[in-house]
Amino acid sequence: MAISGYVLVALSDAPDLPPDLWVLLAAMIGLFVVAHFAVRRLAPRATPVLVPLAAFLNGIGFVMISRLDRDLARTQAIWTALGIIAFVATLFAVRRVRDLERYRYTFGLLGLLALLMPLAPVIGRTVNGARIWVKIGPAQVQPGEAAKVLLVIFFAGYLAEKRELLGAGSMKSGWVFRHLMPLVAAWAVSMLVLIFQKDLGTSLLVFVMFASIVYMATNRIRYLLGGIIVFLASAAIAYRMFDHVRARVDIWLDPFADAQDRGYQLVQALFAFGSGGFTGTGLGLGSVDKIKIPAVETDSLFVVIGEELGLLGTAAIVIAVLMLAGAGFRVATTSRRVFNKLFAGGLTTVVAIQAFVIIGGITRVIPLTGVTLPFVSYGGSSLLANWIIVALLIRMSDEAANDAEASIDELAEPAVPV
Amino acid sequence: MNTPIRRVGYVVAGLMVLLIAQLTYLQVIEADSLANDPRNVRALIRDFSRARGDIVTADGEVVARSIPSDDIFEWQREYPLGALFGHVSGFQSIVYGNSGIEREYNRELSGRDPVVRIQSITDLSEVFVDEAQTGTVVLTMTAQAQQLVRDALGDRRGSIVVMEPKTGAIVAMYSNPSYDPTPLAGHNTQTVQDAYTLLNLDPAKPMLPRAYAEIYPPGSTFKIVTTASALDTGTATPDTGFPVVREIDLPQTSNTLSNFGGANCGGSLFESFVRSCNTTFGLLGLEMGNAFVPAMDRFGIHDRVPIDLSNPGPSRSLGPAPDSFAENQPEFAYAGIGQGLVATTPLQMAMVAASVANGGLAPTAHVAGQILDARGAVVRTMNPGPWRRAMSPEAAAAINEMMVAVVERGTGRNAQIPGVTVAGKTGTAQVDGDRSPHAWFVGYAPAENPQFAIAVLIENGGEGGDEATGGRVAAPIAANVLGQLLATPPR
Repeated sequence: MAISGYVLVALSDAPDLPPDLWVLLAAMIGLFVVAHFAVRRLAPRATPVLVPLAAFLNGIGFVMISRLDRDLARTQAIWTALGIIAFVATLFAVRRVRDLERYRYTFGLLGLLALLMPLAPVIGRTVNGARIWVKIGPAQVQPGEAAKVLLVIFFAGYLAEKRELLGAGSMKSGWVFRHLMPLVAAWAVSMLVLIFQKDLGTSLLVFVMFASIVYMATNRIRYLLGGIIVFLASAAIAYRMFDHVRARVDIWLDPFADAQDRGYQLVQALFAFGSGGFTGTGLGLGSVDKIKIPAVETDSLFVVIGEELGLLGTAAIVIAVLMLAGAGFRVATTSRRVFNKLFAGGLTTVVAIQAFVIIGGITRVIPLTGVTLPFVSYGGSSLLANWIIVALLIRMSDEAANDAEASIDELAEPAVPV
Repeated sequence: MNTPIRRVGYVVAGLMVLLIAQLTYLQVIEADSLANDPRNVRALIRDFSRARGDIVTADGEVVARSIPSDDIFEWQREYPLGALFGHVSGFQSIVYGNSGIEREYNRELSGRDPVVRIQSITDLSEVFVDEAQTGTVVLTMTAQAQQLVRDALGDRRGSIVVMEPKTGAIVAMYSNPSYDPTPLAGHNTQTVQDAYTLLNLDPAKPMLPRAYAEIYPPGSTFKIVTTASALDTGTATPDTGFPVVREIDLPQTSNTLSNFGGANCGGSLFESFVRSCNTTFGLLGLEMGNAFVPAMDRFGIHDRVPIDLSNPGPSRSLGPAPDSFAENQPEFAYAGIGQGLVATTPLQMAMVAASVANGGLAPTAHVAGQILDARGAVVRTMNPGPWRRAMSPEAAAAINEMMVAVVERGTGRNAQIPGVTVAGKTGTAQVDGDRSPHAWFVGYAPAENPQFAIAVLIENGGEGGDEATGGRVAAPIAANVLGQLLATPPR
């Protein structure tokens, strides 16, 4: 509740906005309150920190989008509403996540389809060089966002079943290999994504998700190391084979070499971060209206935050993501069922790594790849998927608390907020 | 299986810490160099995309203003009076930075002066509106007086400075040639560079504010300083007699110092001043010796006359080095008549005249009179007080009489204004080579209650060997300017 209050304050801190935006703002705050009460009713024992953290990120993103473009803000408000509806619906529909586990192969297949859908003719769309969009009727969606969730269900379900086999070192290697086949397939898929969709970010995300779930399932560091080596090797090959991969890496190594063209986005991002400094220029007082930054409302929204809210704003977001991840991993560790552990760990990893990939990319920690910043960036698919992820984590948090109480009464300790 | 989950959690936490570390690096450690990187136009945009306050003259003419533009900066600085105030307004340039008032009062004009901000904000919403916070700089100068001195100079190369002797407020200050700063305030880097290069290539140096950033031998106008030094060091009184001769021998050399035109000249210090006898003042320089340097330094020689203009700022005046009399005696004789090592700005000589008019106190020169906030209320009034005591009140009173006599019956008769007592001193300063000497006149009027002090310099405007030419060329200009200013006071 306290954090909810903080979120309200953070949101109302926005500058003098036109009247219709006050309506939007009120609607946003109302939505988060709805989400909060949905949790109280549908998952009363769940950790209370997840919704406020997600709402904080969603709210900051909304304020920044409002500052950039009021029409986009309206759309984002609608998407947020849909996200909250999806959140409540998920809480309502998924009473036990093990129901999802049962359909893991179906979900896996759906996830695969969703991931590869943009490659299909007619409906696939290439935007900003990445073929990750699907146009169905008037709506343009990124099925990759849904694929994340679906694939985590599959990985978690599959590994919950096979982990004994993979974890047992005594098994014959052929035996292990056969059971690893679906995972090898997943790796192949991530490479396909990399090659055909020119989408480094999603590829990296799928791969990290897969490697970390395997590791969490088996506690065998060799899978993790093996995965990393394979990925680095594939990346090295991709660097040699594909121009767009090489370009990304070259820009990362020296963005100023081509500051006006290919390095423009990163160079402008670095300048904006520097100009923002510790406290930022103040909301609405940055130069984003005058200096165009590519993908400013999605991939580069963090740059605007960096310039206008300074290190205070950017660090707040990173810390919020960190707290969100902390809460997610706590759900994983407090869960009793193996599937829940892997599912919660996997979902949390996906959200955290996605945040790392985009923030790290735009701050030149790693090569820049276009993925959205969870909850913050403009984009319906991403919002929807992330709110569903939070709903699932809350469901599992509630389950964990119930399970704990059911088994050992005296040690029952509901998950306490950090 | 909680162990691997925790480990993944630690890795994620590590990655987030890495992000915060990198953000700290970018936004704190490297922030300055990134923000000020020449390729980063954000700082420029911030400075240029706000409407700056206006610069206006004391009589309400707009010298500089910001008009809306349709490029990324949104505002374009322009200078409606062009070259008339070019050396004063200066410019705001994306290539060459700011100069003049634009530089000296940048904080006030751009609204960064906390006083201007706080007084301008009437309700909280104005915090987010830049225009409401900018200040207006009101000059002490009037467009009318400035136009008057520009017309008085005509196409002669030189400079005229007019100031109020009591306050140091500059009334007019124009150097010919001047330049229009507007092209330098453009937003196209190449165009601005071309305009700047063109101005720089002009041998007449239109961007040089001769009035305060160029030094000239002051010639006989410097005899005011020599006289004040002699009176205040006790070397002479107005009645002290000097030989009536054509020339004097200079020590340590076979050179002589002669009067203009080789005329016999001398008598009392008073008469020598009225007739501008070189021999008398050469002898005074020699007689004072090392005591002369600290005495002339009281006027600000070896120093810059402070003024609220920069890039370029005021030039340093020159004179003989302290304690150099023993090794270089002739220079002290030359310094006595404002030649040799002595070189000053026209502003410095206007200050000398103002000091006499002001009972020996040199005021502080300034061109900005008031800062107004966005609603026109006065935020600050410039009242800088005296700069330094140049001479004793007694010396000032004595020299006042001499200067009145110069215009009444001496070399400065051309500076007479009907019905007004003018005090003044002429100068014809020899220059190296075979170019004509500079013609000078410094003075003030009315002598009994000085309103305006003036320095007129016409570069190479005199005629060689004729002391009267300072009087013939520069004095009428001074009379014209002072007469019109007194007839129609600028404020």
